[in-house]
Amino acid sequence: MRLIWITAIACNGNSHSFLNYPHLEQFLKDFEFVYHPILDGKYSLEDVVCNDLECDILLIEGAISPDFKKANKPIFNTISRYANRAKAILTIGTCATFGGIFAENRTSYVTGLHFSGKKPTSLFHSIKDKTVSISGCPIHPQTLVDTLYTIKSGLKLHLDEYLRPKEFFAYTVHNGCIRNEYFEYKIDNHRFGEKEGCMFYDNGCQAPYTRGSCNKILWNETNSKTRAGVPCMGCSEPEFPKVGFFRTKKNMGIPETLPLDVTKRSYLTLAGITKAFKIKRLEEDLF
Amino acid sequence: MIKLIEKIEGEATLDFRFKDEKIEFVDIKFLDSRGVEQILKNRPPLDALVINPRVCGICGHAHLIATVKALEDCIDDLVLPQNAKILRELTLNFELIQNHFKWFYLTLLPLFGLKQYVLKATVPSQTIAKAIATIAGQYPHTSYAIPGGITNEITAIDVAKIKSLIAEVISFFEKETLKADSKDLLECENILKLLQKDGDLPSILNLMIEKEWQFSGKSYDRFIVFGGNSYFQGGKSIKTRVTKNINPNFVKEQMNINSKAKNVTYKSNFYEVGPLSRAMLNKTKLIKDSHRRYADSIFSRIVARVCEIPQLLHHSQELITQIDTTQPFYIKPKRDISKVTAEGVGCVEAARGSLIHRVKIDNGSIKEYEIITPTQWNLSNGTPENLGVAQKAMVGESNIDFAELIFKTFDICSVCTTQ
Repeated sequence: MRLIWITAIACNGNSHSFLNYPHLEQFLKDFEFVYHPILDGKYSLEDVVCNDLECDILLIEGAISPDFKKANKPIFNTISRYANRAKAILTIGTCATFGGIFAENRTSYVTGLHFSGKKPTSLFHSIKDKTVSISGCPIHPQTLVDTLYTIKSGLKLHLDEYLRPKEFFAYTVHNGCIRNEYFEYKIDNHRFGEKEGCMFYDNGCQAPYTRGSCNKILWNETNSKTRAGVPCMGCSEPEFPKVGFFRTKKNMGIPETLPLDVTKRSYLTLAGITKAFKIKRLEEDLF
Repeated sequence: MIKLIEKIEGEATLDFRFKDEKIEFVDIKFLDSRGVEQILKNRPPLDALVINPRVCGICGHAHLIATVKALEDCIDDLVLPQNAKILRELTLNFELIQNHFKWFYLTLLPLFGLKQYVLKATVPSQTIAKAIATIAGQYPHTSYAIPGGITNEITAIDVAKIKSLIAEVISFFEKETLKADSKDLLECENILKLLQKDGDLPSILNLMIEKEWQFSGKSYDRFIVFGGNSYFQGGKSIKTRVTKNINPNFVKEQMNINSKAKNVTYKSNFYEVGPLSRAMLNKTKLIKDSHRRYADSIFSRIVARVCEIPQLLHHSQELITQIDTTQPFYIKPKRDISKVTAEGVGCVEAARGSLIHRVKIDNGSIKEYEIITPTQWNLSNGTPENLGVAQKAMVGESNIDFAELIFKTFDICSVCTTQ
């Protein structure tokens, strides 16, 4: 399979995250980069934007804008040309999917390939049925590579409303977090610099309402942000980056955003019950 | 003649002007900017810890550490636990190490007509990234450093694991990059001894000598280091004359008419930043010997960057032993940053050199944010009368492919330059 990886308005974080994929040697035997922003291929960037090269899958990293040029050619033209001939298009990262951080700069019209935040755009409508979104800032390399192998095998991917593979995005980041017990029993005394506690109640953790695989497939085969006490910033979702990280916004002591699909009434009921638990093990230091 | 330079974390164009078949001037242009400094305006200060690592996919961790230092500079009477100080230095060292591996095996080798060694770049990078992830949750793009310390607590098992990961990368370096005891290398005073060794680094260095490139790419011989820490000495060095006392207030950015990157000067002068600058300030014996023979040439620049890998690995092995797991990793600041009005500066040594963040907070809201990146220092686009560092290094050459090699020995980061 021949891949063209094109970067628009980006930080290159997805390209580097991809290089963290542990089985790269095999991957590079199974796929050929016609162009990648870091790895060498047969062609230069100028070859890519000026010619019509063979391309089975087009990978787009970074947000797009009608004003943005790559090697002196409008990125829209390059995307159109390769998207039409490719079997599949992948948006790599939250910027390419939703606009992300660089869409916050309001001096020009910056969006994702098919979405501007939650809102679908009318851009590139004709190719939408062959697009798959791999969101995340950055992407988890495994989500990208597994998706590519699935496409290569001709198997069907189940996608959510933002075209993200459900295999990774039907879960919340909260799933698999080792701080879950502190969440379940509503032990809300988290302090930074400790292995104990849950960051949802005070420190702005968005994991219970963020779809992503961070705690399903660990980062660098090692850890995750929430496990290391970093609140989930919701970086795989259309509204990233929200304003006011590290702090849980509350109304009358209740977090403004509740876990996915949980109503305020049931949350309060559950909170009442969990208060009855007094679990000594969870009130003490783990070690 | 205009040449598009790619695979430098984005692109830049070099517009060469020739006289008598020699490069007389090079106009360095970056064509787009993403406006991160604007995006930060009016946000709560802690948001910068999430936005800023995303300035750059390869050196985002340096941006995180510069951010947290700038924010902490805004908080009076802040107490930073020793553990947090050590761990921040470690994760930043690890980023430098992986950046240098990637630069050597992915960027530099093709400039010598060799193929990229993808796995030799990714294998050690992935290993050291596991050490970052152990401490910081993930790499790239974590926000684990916060005013008052770090979010995580490190256990004895974490310490043991990190030690073994560092040892693994040392072994890799000694097996592939330079087949020698890397500890001996730290004591080595003679660059010629390095050339007698086997490994990918000596191969490249010998190739340079063969091609008589060892004196090429000299610039002003003027170096500066702002991000002093337990390993790097801060200060400036002009033709080996070292001054320790430097003040980031004298660092100024100037707009560029035809490029989106701003120029940077210290007291109106251009300075080189990066591993060669750090080695000059640290008086690293091996690099000083290279400098004595070949001055601030591409040879010295390359050897300084690659030899920083074992230096930082061995120093990190020392640092990790200083973690005291009975002591805190975070002490909540007495003053809440969401209420302060203050100004702060944070300086760190990123892979490519000194990175400076400046913030103005007004009543708990970011009023102004300024990011000055290493590539801006090295690639400042001066005039023919007052050339920037990289410009001066390229002027006088006759071949633009060779000029590209000189340019890339500064390890260019386009996305940082055009934040």
